[in-house]
Amino acid sequence: MRYIVNQIQDGEDELILNYRQMNSEVEAAIAFMEKNQKKLIGKVDGERVVFLPEDILYIEKVDDRTFAYTEDNEIQLDMSLYAIELLLNDERYFRCSKSMIVNINKVKRLKSLSSNRIDATLINGEHVMISRTYASCFRKLLRGE
Amino acid sequence: MNKPSLWERYLTKEIGIEFKACLYFFALLFFYCVYRLCTGFKVAEIWHMAEMIFLTYIVGYIQVFLLWNFDESDELGKKEILGISICTMIYTAVSYFGNWFDKNIYVTAGFAGYVIFLYVCVYFVYKCRRKIDDKILNYDLELFKTRSEKEE
Repeated sequence: MRYIVNQIQDGEDELILNYRQMNSEVEAAIAFMEKNQKKLIGKVDGERVVFLPEDILYIEKVDDRTFAYTEDNEIQLDMSLYAIELLLNDERYFRCSKSMIVNINKVKRLKSLSSNRIDATLINGEHVMISRTYASCFRKLLRGE
Repeated sequence: MNKPSLWERYLTKEIGIEFKACLYFFALLFFYCVYRLCTGFKVAEIWHMAEMIFLTYIVGYIQVFLLWNFDESDELGKKEILGISICTMIYTAVSYFGNWFDKNIYVTAGFAGYVIFLYVCVYFVYKCRRKIDDKILNYDLELFKTRSEKEE
């Protein structure tokens, strides 16, 4: 199989695979492309959008509706917080309160508060509270315990 | 990761209150012992000490459940000052009616000032501890991110 590698100046990085018949080589290439490419589907202003979990800052349940917040968008999801937690199944997405999951990789700074709570400042400047119920688990997770 | 059970959360709170009771009891006892020494006594009344430990335990509950746990708060605002005032009044009243300082009004007033000073000191101690905790948390956060990047 021949392949072409192009460096581009703008736009998103993408892999395009053209094939005539499925064979083990193509399957391996697809498996590589799909690796870590878990995607979520949601709605922004009624329009369907596909996005990567890595882009999420935090996910919040508001009035029985679930929203994922990225740096640019507020995306409504058709899943419960619990279902998303199961789907992501990744320690980077931490349940920080009853109604919220935070992406630890998007946390810029942490501040210890009274009653064993933790204030997390995200990369966009927003603050997320890690409640005391979850704070000790969060500390253990950070320490890799 | 499992979140702590109701029992574990209760136990955490209870230990916190008992820790507070010990801390404040020790501080009250110090003032009381200095007073006793200054008035020529080399012994402390067991009854007074019993009153102190019970009182600090009860006030610990009041602080945690009714007065926003003010000595551990993030800022020293109106609520916290109200909490300090209420608890100081309780300690002062019990010390006066419990005859800890022989109903000496000046010593009782000095004791009230000492309790306020004590609360302010404890507030700063907790604040200082949280600052150190901030450093540890942010260090652990960076380690977590590095680990996470390596795993990717």
